[in-house]
Amino acid sequence: MALKFLIVDDSVTMRRIVINSLRNLGYNDFIEANDGKEAIEKLTVDPAVNFVITDWNMPVVSGLELVKSIRSSEKFTNLPVLMVTTRGVKEDIIEALQAKVNNYVVKPFTPAVLKEKIDQILATA
Amino acid sequence: MENSEKNKDKTLNEKYTEKLEEIFENLLDFMKQAAPVILNINDSITDSTNKIPKATNQINNVTNATEVATTEILDTVDIISNDVLCIEKNLDEISLVEQQKNEILIKMKSLHLSEESINMLNEYERINNTLSVYKKVYELTDKIKNNTNNIALSLQVQDITSQQLAAVNHLISSVQNKLSSLVQNLDDTNSKDFWNMEIQVPKGSHFDPNASYSRSDKRQENVDSIMNDQTKKTSQAEIDKLFL
Repeated sequence: MALKFLIVDDSVTMRRIVINSLRNLGYNDFIEANDGKEAIEKLTVDPAVNFVITDWNMPVVSGLELVKSIRSSEKFTNLPVLMVTTRGVKEDIIEALQAKVNNYVVKPFTPAVLKEKIDQILATA
Repeated sequence: MENSEKNKDKTLNEKYTEKLEEIFENLLDFMKQAAPVILNINDSITDSTNKIPKATNQINNVTNATEVATTEILDTVDIISNDVLCIEKNLDEISLVEQQKNEILIKMKSLHLSEESINMLNEYERINNTLSVYKKVYELTDKIKNNTNNIALSLQVQDITSQQLAAVNHLISSVQNKLSSLVQNLDDTNSKDFWNMEIQVPKGSHFDPNASYSRSDKRQENVDSIMNDQTKKTSQAEIDKLFL
């Protein structure tokens, strides 16, 4: 299945790094958002997006709030969401799990880890 | 008798009055000495408070500058990656041509040629054997790709440092607010409260105050371990244990 990614991060650098990593893994279809609010808007207008990679700490609407918003919508209940963040404490990971992220990567990450988590999500989708 | 009692009271009153006067005089002297010191402290605090916005701006400038520099590095990395892809495509084409040449050589050798011609063909084949060279070039291009990936990964430090700097800015702003209130309420402020103050990071802040840069695999292993613990289904034996 061809994947179209929505990359959500308030850091331009991180969005580029994630996209570069995905390109090296053979993926070529991406759109970007600067924060959770923009991400929700883009999801609403682009139904082709079928995978979200999001940061946590962002202005306006955080990554955690974005995940909760996605899961509260019937349209996006099964949309795969991968959290990529600097937050690595147990409480944060549990909170993300409770919000129903599909998987979790801590920064800095390697392409191998990104691939592993994407593959794990796709295997259970 | 009454008079002596009254005289005794008067003497005590005089003594207390004298004592009180002494205390008030000492207090007035202290206040006269303390006032300039307090004014001095007030001026220092005001001065420091005025410098804080500049510090905050400078920190923001650092973040902006590192983002610009990082973007430039990523642009160059992209150019290198594209050039390496071009090199590999050209190598693939050349490899295909070499393969076709080898096939022709094999066919030629199967023809009824003189010994001298076959020797020349063998010599040509030996000189023209560039497959091992291509292999080395492919290894080099792989190495370049790995290195450019590593550069990109290391640049994640920019995101992490920008969050650390945002945390510092938040701390500075909080100190500024506390100093401002101190300047306004210097007489009422309990100094113990000031030095014991905790500065809270607001929930939903756009930075992680604990962000850190580490290439160790341990952090992700820790995350994976927590994810696995939280998502594994509880066995019946574990449920039964709860009810023993």
